[in-house]
Amino acid sequence: MTKKFHFEDFTPGRVWEIDGPTVGKDEIVEFARRFDPQYFHVDERMAEDSPYGGLIASGWQTVGICMRLICDAYLLQAASLGSPGVNEVRWTKPVRPGDRLRMKMTVLEAKISRSKPDRGTVLHRWEVYNQHGDMVMHMEGYGMYARRPE
Amino acid sequence: MFKYYFDDFHPGWTFEFGARTLSAEDIISFARQWDPQRYHTDEEQARASPYGGLIASGWQTACVGMRLMCDGYLNESACVGSPGIEEIRFLKPVRPGDTLRFRSTATEARPSKTKPNRGTVTFTWEVINQLDEVVLSMIGTQLFLRRTAAAEDDA
Repeated sequence: MTKKFHFEDFTPGRVWEIDGPTVGKDEIVEFARRFDPQYFHVDERMAEDSPYGGLIASGWQTVGICMRLICDAYLLQAASLGSPGVNEVRWTKPVRPGDRLRMKMTVLEAKISRSKPDRGTVLHRWEVYNQHGDMVMHMEGYGMYARRPE
Repeated sequence: MFKYYFDDFHPGWTFEFGARTLSAEDIISFARQWDPQRYHTDEEQARASPYGGLIASGWQTACVGMRLMCDGYLNESACVGSPGIEEIRFLKPVRPGDTLRFRSTATEARPSKTKPNRGTVTFTWEVINQLDEVVLSMIGTQLFLRRTAAAEDDA
């Protein structure tokens, strides 16, 4: 299957800006009931008495939303071979019901594999912003991509 | 009140909890919503991938770990959130039928300098399969209220 994006397309400095969804209260509660049922993610009334003063989304939901945005923006059209991991996930501001998210992905590094020269590892920085321009999350993630066939 | 406070998470504290078995349907259903890459959503295409078959999204494994942490002890704790995760490593693929458990080990506990009613704890979190292989590891931090602060609130 021919892919649009290969290792060579992820040049350091390249940026993808991606508009994201508005996060609804029901989605926050539904996600958290499945994966992260802490009271400030699932119970509106108890969340009011929490340090956050109201319901906030699980940080894992913000990650999931971004993963899906990345998939739709380029990853499903890329010769992706998976990811060994992620560094420095920071949840810098709460995501609240009604927040509209957008993300900015920047390529930080791209290295051809020494042991498998048909592929390379790319370090991506994800930044997620709300509708006020506040950064709500950032992280650095590795992706492996096949090199473009000659 | 809560069972666990900042004061309980001294370095070396460890907690193991599980298990949760992931079916092919669980893997595909999560991936269709959050991470629809071919080796997470399509058994046939997954067989032709470098993984040789369907594997779970690493985010699903992290989410399963999070849920096991909540059910194991976190929802009985005075946790007030997490500033972030230092690293996440997807060490081994998780395949249909794998049974996962979760292990948390506290490595560092620091009282807050600015907010004396709480402290930060650093943990190593591991998701382990039925062969005792660590499939995912994380180093993460969480904030917890101190027991003394809770007692003062009650007074």
